[in-house]
Amino acid sequence: MLPKLKVSNLSCRRADNQLFDDLNFEVHPGQNIEIIGSNGSGKTTLLRILLGLIDIGNGEMEWLDNENNYNNFRSIDCFYQGHSLGIKNLLSAQENLRLSSYSFGVSEEKILSSLNRVGINNHSSFASEMSVGQKKRISIARWLLKDFGIYFIDEPFSALDDQASSLIVEIIEELNAKGASFVITGHRPSEITSNQITLDHEV
Amino acid sequence: MNKIWNYIKDWFIEMGSPPLFFKWSSKILPWLLFISITVFIVGLLWGLFYSPTDYKQGDVYRIIYIHVPSAILGQSIFMFMAICGFITMVWRVKISGMLLKSAAPIGASFTLIALLTGSIWGKPTWGTWWVWDARLTSTLILFFIYAAIIGLHSSIDNKTKADRAISILSLVGIAIIPIIKKSVDWWQTLHQPSTFSLTSAPSMTPDMYQPLLLCVLGFYLIFALLLTMNLRAEVVIREKNRSWVSKQFLNLER
Amino acid sequence: MKSNIYNWFFLILRRDLLMAFRRSSTYITPLIFFLIVISFFPIALSPDQDFLRSLAPGVIWIAALLSSLLAIETIFSEDFRDGTLDEFFISNDPSFVLVFAKVLCHWLVTGFPILLASLISSLILYLPVSSLLPMICSLILGTFFMSLLGAIGAALSLGKSAILSAIIVLPFSIPTLLMGTAAVSSAIDYQDYSGFLLIMGAMLAIGVPGLCLLTVEAILLNYE
Repeated sequence: MLPKLKVSNLSCRRADNQLFDDLNFEVHPGQNIEIIGSNGSGKTTLLRILLGLIDIGNGEMEWLDNENNYNNFRSIDCFYQGHSLGIKNLLSAQENLRLSSYSFGVSEEKILSSLNRVGINNHSSFASEMSVGQKKRISIARWLLKDFGIYFIDEPFSALDDQASSLIVEIIEELNAKGASFVITGHRPSEITSNQITLDHEV
Repeated sequence: MNKIWNYIKDWFIEMGSPPLFFKWSSKILPWLLFISITVFIVGLLWGLFYSPTDYKQGDVYRIIYIHVPSAILGQSIFMFMAICGFITMVWRVKISGMLLKSAAPIGASFTLIALLTGSIWGKPTWGTWWVWDARLTSTLILFFIYAAIIGLHSSIDNKTKADRAISILSLVGIAIIPIIKKSVDWWQTLHQPSTFSLTSAPSMTPDMYQPLLLCVLGFYLIFALLLTMNLRAEVVIREKNRSWVSKQFLNLER
Repeated sequence: MKSNIYNWFFLILRRDLLMAFRRSSTYITPLIFFLIVISFFPIALSPDQDFLRSLAPGVIWIAALLSSLLAIETIFSEDFRDGTLDEFFISNDPSFVLVFAKVLCHWLVTGFPILLASLISSLILYLPVSSLLPMICSLILGTFFMSLLGAIGAALSLGKSAILSAIIVLPFSIPTLLMGTAAVSSAIDYQDYSGFLLIMGAMLAIGVPGLCLLTVEAILLNYE
């Protein structure tokens, strides 16, 4: 099957540091990519370049479109979750999902079933009353709302206990089986099957 | 004709590279220094000492030879900054961002000089150090906008990002400044129905006009000189970790 | 999914309005700040009726400018920290429409308290009744323009102090101030004030697309 995203010769400089040079990889459907590096090694910058938040300096990114051609613009539905969770404290768990930009056309039952799947049972309590772990679970529930093509998640496994980690691994494997791919970052390799890219630059 | 155009285009592209700009500016700097200081001093001396005395205002009007060029420069520099800002945002050229940053304090200084000389002119002719006259007020507002730009740049630590931020601000400025001038003009006519302006230029004979033009030219040349000097310093500071800088100044290979 | 941008526009309005009303300080504080600023003038200068009446248009407008400037300060900071703001720029949809939605919502939440405060102030500053309608119209147009300017000031100084945002925005708000006070003053003298409102409307018409586009650029700077 054709890769959904092809990256060639991507390099980036930040404040006199070469963060990464000549990166090449492809994101195939159902397969994952893990970007590993220590703090400040450019993982978040790489994700942001892939998504178009930062200008691509040198290199090329090509996205697959509906007619199996490769373009510079993205026509695949993507999901992005940054370092901070994107969960609003003033809204309840259900409202956080209902009022998210990823939930257009999603029914209420789907929202409730996603919340139940990640183990959040009190749907109407405000997110401000929940612990960080529970907020992380709400943010994971958003992954289940629709069938996205590629999921870009920044550090999904940081600050998680074993139970939540295995929940994430389970969900990633389920979604892989449906053809979705994950591009995640982290400090160390995780338990999901993936191609690993290590970023490290001379300090 | 095409050849000249290509030559100019190539020069622009070359200037976009900091080490090449530095080399080129080192070559022209002595000439620029000589020409600009000469024209500046000749113009000022002519205007301040050798032009005829105005029959209405006496010798006081001579401050016009500093006030008017400074005011003109203050406004032109803002236009220049807006153009640099546009180039920076649209084509992401780094050197135009540095040009913008280097031009800002020069523009602010000229605007301040225009304000001070306007105020000094007002004292003998009108008896007060300040009057809320339309031109002085809009020059004051222009000074505030310059101050905002300089303040914004200094508050952002990542200087490339700071350049882009002040590009955006100068674009907003260039759009709103005409509106500000028109509305201040209107406001002033509301409160001072006579069409009398504090720092009205005396009707000028060619004797008075010629030194004024020379002064304006001199001020523009001084701006070019100061801009080049500022930009050279800025380029070296930004690129201080690059090898061409250490080669240039320390004769070291990195 | 074609008309996504409309859905998204209303989604942002719904979400931000819901959150603003759950936190009452969002709409109470501009009102109180306005009244505090207004009350400083009689206290610091003179409580004489005629004096205050002559000052009233300007004082009300200055208080409106300062209140809307301070109120708009946090428009992007929370969403930026949360990660919610990233979603605007990742999609293929035009992000300046979404930024406009945020500004509109912010104005709806803070503009009405300012209007209410100005009505109260017109009472305590002895403003004649004939000028109330033009005052409200000019404040509606003017505070919206101030919200747009404040948004770009907040985006440029994201994460920095409010006073920096104030120096950036206040010089550009002088035309609004002049036109607004002119509208109210000429209404006191029973003269035609429609021209001033038209000019303020024209500034809004250019300002909405232009300033929203520049605000998008300013926010994107923070991701570098």
